[in-house]
Amino acid sequence: MADTSQVLEFAQVVKRRWDGTRELLVLDGVSFEIGRGTFVGLYGARRSGKSTVLRLAAGLDLADEGRVAVAGCDLASASAVERARLLRGVVALVAPDSWRARPQESLVDHLVLSLGCDGITATQARRRAYSALDEVGLAGVGLEPTASLPMVERLNLMLARALLHTPELLLIDEPSVIPSVSGRERFGKLLRELARARNLAVIVASEELAAVQGSSVLMSLGAGQLTSTDERGVVVHFPGRQRAAGERVGA
Amino acid sequence: MATKTIESRRWMQGASSPLRGALLGLVLEQPGHGGELASRLARRLGHPWRIDPTDIYRLLARLEDEGLLCSSEEPTPGSQRATRVVYHVTEETSEALTLWLETLVPREPMRSTLHAKLAAAQGVNDARLLLRALEAHERECLELAQLVPPMTSGAASLRTLLLDCVRSGVWTQLQAEIDWSRQSRERISEYLNAT
Repeated sequence: MADTSQVLEFAQVVKRRWDGTRELLVLDGVSFEIGRGTFVGLYGARRSGKSTVLRLAAGLDLADEGRVAVAGCDLASASAVERARLLRGVVALVAPDSWRARPQESLVDHLVLSLGCDGITATQARRRAYSALDEVGLAGVGLEPTASLPMVERLNLMLARALLHTPELLLIDEPSVIPSVSGRERFGKLLRELARARNLAVIVASEELAAVQGSSVLMSLGAGQLTSTDERGVVVHFPGRQRAAGERVGA
Repeated sequence: MATKTIESRRWMQGASSPLRGALLGLVLEQPGHGGELASRLARRLGHPWRIDPTDIYRLLARLEDEGLLCSSEEPTPGSQRATRVVYHVTEETSEALTLWLETLVPREPMRSTLHAKLAAAQGVNDARLLLRALEAHERECLELAQLVPPMTSGAASLRTLLLDCVRSGVWTQLQAEIDWSRQSRERISEYLNAT
């Protein structure tokens, strides 16, 4: 039986992609583990494989080698039913470029429709939709059409949608699409608060280091390989407690 | 007048000039003793500065010698006999701060140990060692980035806005270092694998 205390586990994950002329090694033996309540920032330049990591974690794609496990369950060997359960109930991926809301539908309707035939009444669905909107600060505009939302609130709506199924693992792909600095900061703050309140494991992937600020673990990806502040033997100094020798401020 | 101005800018030279200038600003805001000023400075500038209180004590004493600050001995609260040195402004402090803010102090030489190591490496084995050094450097940058507190949304006051600019400066610099380390490693590995 796998260790279920980890929400997400990558072990020596290899992912190759064919780009038309040659094979690219997108992930070349990437390993990490994430437990609940961990807020992970994943930094990497464009095309460094960040989205691939998230798509593998969300089960939208399978690894070529190695193991990707969600809540202790190996996605490659799980049955289709088990995988569907995990991916609907445990993992939520928020990717701004997959915005699919119909422009005229209201925020509430958007969420209610995404709940679909989930064996609940229309009233229950609306209640769940409103409580999710409330969590992201959008309850006040629940009846507005989705087209009226600025980019930062779109992300909030996608976040609300992700929260409908009480996930344990939240994956955010590129929040730096939010145009303003203050908007990005507000979104980051909301994410950290949600993660704390719901004890979520979160991965925020971005090509901007500043977009992953406030994370408890910071990883960077490039050339298929991962560097992380969470590796064995790494000493992290905290302000106030640090005082390593040979690190004096110059006279 | 001109000689006085040149003379009064002498303290701005040297690697500790940023800390000394910042200390003037802090004392202008509120007098304080060495330890307190050190922790206020550390909070404001952030972890990557690695503020060491010992250095701060020394810099404060020097600023006092130069007449830019003065000190008084005051009883330590909660203690009968112990006293501590509290720093206050002098007539020159405010002017010196303004002068510092407007002076274009030449930048310190850019001396990265890693740059020097890359320049001095002798062959394939050394290059392999440097791959590891570059990776360690990248991880160190990540660790520093992680310790920078998140920026405040909507910057409520000029003070928080300016501090946010400090933080974003640190982020930008660390991101550039990480990217550089990545690119260098990629290029070196590619070369080593090809030969």
